[in-house]
Amino acid sequence: MESIAPFTDDYLSNLNLIRQEIGQNADVHIREFSFGQTAIRASIIFVDGLSDRDLIDNTILKTLMNDSVAVMVQENSSGDVSGSKEFFINHVLSIHEILECRDVYDLRTKVLTGFTALLIEGAANALLLNTVKVKTRNIDEPVSESLVRGPRVGFTETLSENTALLRRHGENGDLLFLKFQVGERAKKELIIAYMKEIANPALVEEVKNRITKIKIDHVPESGYVEQFIEDNYLSPFPQVQSTERPDRVISALLEGRVAILLDGTPFALIVPVTFSMLLQSPEDYYERWIPSTFIRLLRFFTAFASLLIPALYISFISFHQGLIPTELAISIIGTRQGVPFPALLEALIMEVSIEIMREAGLRLPKPIGPAIGIVGGLIIGQAAVQAGIVSPIMVIVVAVTAISSFAIPSYNLGISLRLIRFLVMFSAAMFGLYGVILFFLLLTSHLVKLKSFGVPYVTPAVPYRLSDWKDFMVRMPLMMMKRRPKMLHTKEPTRKG
Amino acid sequence: MIPTRNDRITTSQTAVIIINFILGAGILTLPRISVEKAKTPDVWISVLIGGLLAMFTGIIIVKLSQRFPDKTFFEYSQEIAGEWVGRILSLLIICYFCLTSSLQVRSMAEVTTFYLLEKTPTWAIVMVFLWVALYLVVGGINCLARMLEIILPITVLFFLVVSLMSIKIFEIDHLRPVLGLGWKPVFDGIKPTALAYTGFEIMMILVVYMRQPNKAVKAVVVGISASLIFYLITVVMVIGAFSIDGVVTRTWPTIDLIRSFEITGLLFERFESLLLVLWIMQIFSTFTLAYYSAALGLAQLLKKNIEPFLFGLLPVIYIITMTPKEINGVFALGDFVGNASIFLFGILPLLLLIISRLKVGKHEAKSSS
Amino acid sequence: MKQSHHRERLLLLTSLSVFLLFLLTGCWSSQDIDKMGMGIGLALDVGNKSNVEKKLEKQGKSPPHVDTITMTYQFINPKATSKESSSAGPQQKAYLNASQTGESILPIIREFSLSHDAPLFSPHLKIIVISEALLRTHRLESLLDLFLRDNEIRPSCLVLVCNGNARHVLETKKPGELPALKLLGIVDNRSRTAKILPPVSLAKLTAKLNSESSFLLQNVAASDKEVKFEGAAVINGKTKKWAGFLNEMDLEGITWITGKGKGGLVRSLDKETGQLIIYEIETMESKITPHVDGNKISFDVHINSKGRLSENWVLNANPFENEFLKRVEKAAELEVRQLVKSVTAKMQKNLHADVAGFGERLRIEYPKTWEKVKKDWDQTFSTVPITYFVKLTMTDFGASGPSK
Repeated sequence: MESIAPFTDDYLSNLNLIRQEIGQNADVHIREFSFGQTAIRASIIFVDGLSDRDLIDNTILKTLMNDSVAVMVQENSSGDVSGSKEFFINHVLSIHEILECRDVYDLRTKVLTGFTALLIEGAANALLLNTVKVKTRNIDEPVSESLVRGPRVGFTETLSENTALLRRHGENGDLLFLKFQVGERAKKELIIAYMKEIANPALVEEVKNRITKIKIDHVPESGYVEQFIEDNYLSPFPQVQSTERPDRVISALLEGRVAILLDGTPFALIVPVTFSMLLQSPEDYYERWIPSTFIRLLRFFTAFASLLIPALYISFISFHQGLIPTELAISIIGTRQGVPFPALLEALIMEVSIEIMREAGLRLPKPIGPAIGIVGGLIIGQAAVQAGIVSPIMVIVVAVTAISSFAIPSYNLGISLRLIRFLVMFSAAMFGLYGVILFFLLLTSHLVKLKSFGVPYVTPAVPYRLSDWKDFMVRMPLMMMKRRPKMLHTKEPTRKG
Repeated sequence: MIPTRNDRITTSQTAVIIINFILGAGILTLPRISVEKAKTPDVWISVLIGGLLAMFTGIIIVKLSQRFPDKTFFEYSQEIAGEWVGRILSLLIICYFCLTSSLQVRSMAEVTTFYLLEKTPTWAIVMVFLWVALYLVVGGINCLARMLEIILPITVLFFLVVSLMSIKIFEIDHLRPVLGLGWKPVFDGIKPTALAYTGFEIMMILVVYMRQPNKAVKAVVVGISASLIFYLITVVMVIGAFSIDGVVTRTWPTIDLIRSFEITGLLFERFESLLLVLWIMQIFSTFTLAYYSAALGLAQLLKKNIEPFLFGLLPVIYIITMTPKEINGVFALGDFVGNASIFLFGILPLLLLIISRLKVGKHEAKSSS
Repeated sequence: MKQSHHRERLLLLTSLSVFLLFLLTGCWSSQDIDKMGMGIGLALDVGNKSNVEKKLEKQGKSPPHVDTITMTYQFINPKATSKESSSAGPQQKAYLNASQTGESILPIIREFSLSHDAPLFSPHLKIIVISEALLRTHRLESLLDLFLRDNEIRPSCLVLVCNGNARHVLETKKPGELPALKLLGIVDNRSRTAKILPPVSLAKLTAKLNSESSFLLQNVAASDKEVKFEGAAVINGKTKKWAGFLNEMDLEGITWITGKGKGGLVRSLDKETGQLIIYEIETMESKITPHVDGNKISFDVHINSKGRLSENWVLNANPFENEFLKRVEKAAELEVRQLVKSVTAKMQKNLHADVAGFGERLRIEYPKTWEKVKKDWDQTFSTVPITYFVKLTMTDFGASGPSK
């Protein structure tokens, strides 16, 4: 790197320095002017689009080029402009944030984020005026997590907006935002949010630790952060929860968990997470407890179903034909007549084609999406059966499995379960039910060993703790859930009130 | 080698471990073995008495272990009985654990080849099982405890539901008369039933790992009573369905119980394979515990890290598993292990307890004089 | 931390590769359901070769077999159950019967492999029918040994006896009907009639074969591709062979003595008018009480039943009057008493076998005595005095009242 060139008293050389550094960029504008009628030269440097032009035109240029201001400047500094800096800051520029900078690198980084640099003849340092224009989109309902009942608010790509959302929804003095920077080359702001009085200090420490250990050029999305801070990169299971919903983050914070927000992405991360948390939806708490409990049990079932149904089908068809009811066995024999493939291949054909259809449906423009549904569901399903490639029962099996996996609230858990499903199918094809159960044991072994930020992944299922079970498979009435999850070792064990 | 506090297990986990260790492959043959000896339907009384006996010995083991709150049997046995005797005793117990674990795998493999996978070679069945187990035990006692806590409710719930379904073919007359031939047959049946409860010996090792070692007695009592209820239901349902004349002819009476009825109108009419695979999970838990205990014993005996022993024991267990040539060899191995356990866990702890009491008494007498 | 991850990865990779290795060689036991012949029923007859068999044997010039048993196996006909065929053309039979003759069960089953491409597969075997003639010469336990030992055939499979040709039981005229499942359905009709025995599955038979007591098996008659449950066969407790036959009436009597009936009718004649009255059983209970006095054994049997007046041909009857109901009860009681008396006489005089569970009660109430007499119980039983007390109660007479 070149040696750092600090600004000098010489206005022109300063300007040259700046031109050299960033002047060749097409979007950097340098506007030279004089204070009112005086001969004091000055220039502002800003990036088109990043800075607020209105602000520059109406507040900065208008004031500085005004005669009365020029007179005031001259009077005040009696010719020596370098000392008038304080005067500018205190009396002239009505900008909420003004920084000073002494060298061109400092200037460069700031200007490129939307600041406007003001260089005045005779002054050895430039002023950086915060004219950052925050272009935000509207706050929309989160696309990936829609609810029937609940706030229609999702995070946006702007960090300040997101923290503001949390503040507004949290309304709590405890809420603490710690700022970090990630990315070695392209720096990005990252915020760790937690409740001072609730979160376990050791957990917060651990999160900070892992965040500071991230070493990479650039962090474009919170998925990068997730992959750097997760406990076990070999595991197929997500060990960090990601969400677009502020209400979800707030309730997680109040449980004593820690949230990580990254600038430029609407996806916030929450740690630690357990398996059962990934099967929960904020709606569980917004609806009354009886339907919520029912729906929760249903989700546990769908998790198992999306994992096991094809494998069970294979083991029943190819290994344990005695297990199915006689009448069903008779009809299966009938429907499978003429299917040339063994059950495993039959299941694979259908499973793979439905995965392809899912992926294709995701990529297609919205108007064509439903068309794929028709092609996939009706034509391929129907035709495959009539062509004798698969049996109708297989189509049902695949359909039920696919729908089950979509019913899982956490998208990334759904993906990993779908992936594991193929492994279970293989082990079922080898050992039948024995293979399924051994795979289940292997999976459970993996789950009990897995931890997310020190919290075992299988809690609260085990160890048995009655107070944590109130919010596990069954969602007890809110009045009965007086304690925060014990597994998080929170500072304050009870929920107030 | 004192485990860190974080690595300790709760009292309920301890109880779960005991139940899991007791309920293994034994339940599949228990009704036959006990009826063979007693020859009356009063076996359920033997099951009760056997359970009480087991509870008594279990409490002795706990009392013994509680005298050395930061040591496992492998360490304190040397303290009580002297270095060499202690080492030999520990070695015996390690062998016992190896044999039990092999026995569990082998019984599992036998049942699996017979009822589930007729043409699959035994080595394949055993090998995948061992691999999965190894993957689990490398995680340590805490992962083990969590795993067992997940397994137990699934298997127990399913087993109870299924065996209660057999009420359809249950006939109370098969269990009568009560004590028709007096108490003698009941006592004849005690030995096999009491042996069915072996498993509480895990407390020799477990007390160290407990967060509240003073609650160990409670864990044992809960653990053994739960198993007792379980055994009682099994024996009663099996005899009720087959009568004692039928039970003795079935090699695996408990599975045949489930095979003997069909519930029409459900997704499944038949439950034996389902029950069997779920019971494989139970056997898995018994196996991993015994396996872990054996490795732990070796590690502590040689004062080394446990992991190489976990890996090293695997082939040994595999070889022992494949040693019995035929099914009667498996049952003979079972008898041998059972008889060994009477000495190792029935008599030995009592002896050690007395010796350690005497030693302390002597010590106190010395210091006071 | 890192180190343990490393080890974990190693472990994971090794186990995965082992899994893949299995995949290459594995699937030892895999066999798709539609590639097998699913058997649902089985009939055992005295050896009698079919013409086809004789011809084939002649062509093959095989040495003569020992032909003691002919086994008829009923398969599902997959062609008939698949959708395509049912919509077009004349309906096929839903089942296929195949007969084979040989010396004992398993060799016969394996003989099927020479003539059928789909391997036999029996977990769904529902019913085993054995012909009376075969049971006269063969011990039941030898005939059933394979089925009890086998891992495929479930102990819930039912056993019936046929007094004609057992293979005819497994035939039907109706297209689409499966004879084996039809038999199973008839067993379920016990709530309608007292002439069906409680089902005897292989599981129940295990105990019976292992004890010395005689027992009954449901008998089924077949003629012209129709079947009917008709009486019961008596299996001797010692020889385990066919020892006699109880007709429908006797069977009803047995049902009354054991009290295990779930429904049925009692037909009686009104004493005054001689007209028919049908009593429908709602509940049935019986209590056999053994009495042991020294060496003398005797039994009291209390039979209680509640029921309703279901059909009445008596003119001028008024069920609103208790007197009439009492009269009907008396008539029905008489009928029941006759039923049980006659079957008792048959058991004690003709068959010399206790098939109504008297021994069982004695075992429970007087285990010591039972130990002494159990060896020769059937003989002892033949001379034991039995007293019956029958009490029927008419609780209901349906929707219509007095008749003119």
